[in-house]
Amino acid sequence: MAVNYELPCERDLEQVWERLDEVGAGRADEHELSCPHCRTARESLQALRAATDELVAEADQPSPDLVGKIMSAVRAEVRRGHMMRLPSPEPGVVEVSEQAVAVVLRFAADAVTGIRARRCRVRTVGIGDGGEAIVEVDLTLAVSLRNVTGSEALTEVRERVSAAAAARVGLRLERLNLIVDDVYEADG
Amino acid sequence: MSTTTSAGEHPPAPLDDETLVARARQGDVRAYEQLVLRYQGPMFRLASRMLASRSDAEDVVQEVFLTAWRRLGQLQEDAAFVGWLYRATTNRCLNHIRARRPVAEADYETTESPRAETRPEHAVQVSAQLEALEKALQQLTAEQRACWLLREAHGRSYDEIGRIVGTNSTAVRGRIARARAQLAEVMRPWR
Repeated sequence: MAVNYELPCERDLEQVWERLDEVGAGRADEHELSCPHCRTARESLQALRAATDELVAEADQPSPDLVGKIMSAVRAEVRRGHMMRLPSPEPGVVEVSEQAVAVVLRFAADAVTGIRARRCRVRTVGIGDGGEAIVEVDLTLAVSLRNVTGSEALTEVRERVSAAAAARVGLRLERLNLIVDDVYEADG
Repeated sequence: MSTTTSAGEHPPAPLDDETLVARARQGDVRAYEQLVLRYQGPMFRLASRMLASRSDAEDVVQEVFLTAWRRLGQLQEDAAFVGWLYRATTNRCLNHIRARRPVAEADYETTESPRAETRPEHAVQVSAQLEALEKALQQLTAEQRACWLLREAHGRSYDEIGRIVGTNSTAVRGRIARARAQLAEVMRPWR
């Protein structure tokens, strides 16, 4: 692992590299002025530096459609986080994103002891009379091992999440699918 | 592409990375597009020199930016985005190289002149010196090449490179010194 590229004159290549500017600026020491090994090393390092500058300056660009490819892949994933219409007494449209709805619904579920909300998927399945989106929600949960009465907790989750969807967001929750995919040992 | 701006407004000044990252994290696709436009070039150049292939490099860059979009929520600090991009690009390139067949004779031909193979129209414009450097870069180990490129072509600090390749800055210095010695050796005939 030792980094030691010693020249026949016992100076190290890294030393020559570090002194390249100094020597270039005319501040060479006596050894550097006279040593042929140091001079050869300097010339190689200068050639390397010049080629490196060229490599940096080349600024090779990717093909022009790369950004488009990346962004269409990104947008394809955004659609899962679509916008949902909320009821509005005014002429303008009010929309809320899936991510925002998910935050509120997860929070409602988290309030139940022994429940941790994980993923939350919201799909619009129709539009209600007030213009509000009618939604179907898949909520993935982890349940505490101590939660021996799991079904009661899930009933409470169902109540709280439905209430939050209507009261805090303004969506009509038509169907709530609760998926318990994990258990955890800690409290809370 | 719509270019709607309110009347009388100057075109908005480009946003700083942290603002763009914070907005992208909340699902703002346009903010993310700005980040892609800003950093696809450097990531592509790093990958294309690591892999000596433009098409492999574009695949890597595409994967890196899509993964970054998915993981924005996990990023601890908005300021860490660029470092994350460098790390992801470097690691994907290293994995890509490890997954390749061991360099056999058949492979040797393709690694020997990547430029002539992929961009024939540019081949003549490239100086002999740069061509020698690019060829020599492919003779380094992938880890040495990564360290050298991150330092000399992308200006990253030793500490940062250490975090990118998962080692300490002393080891990074060592790898770069070895890379430099090997590259300087090759540059001799061109001086």
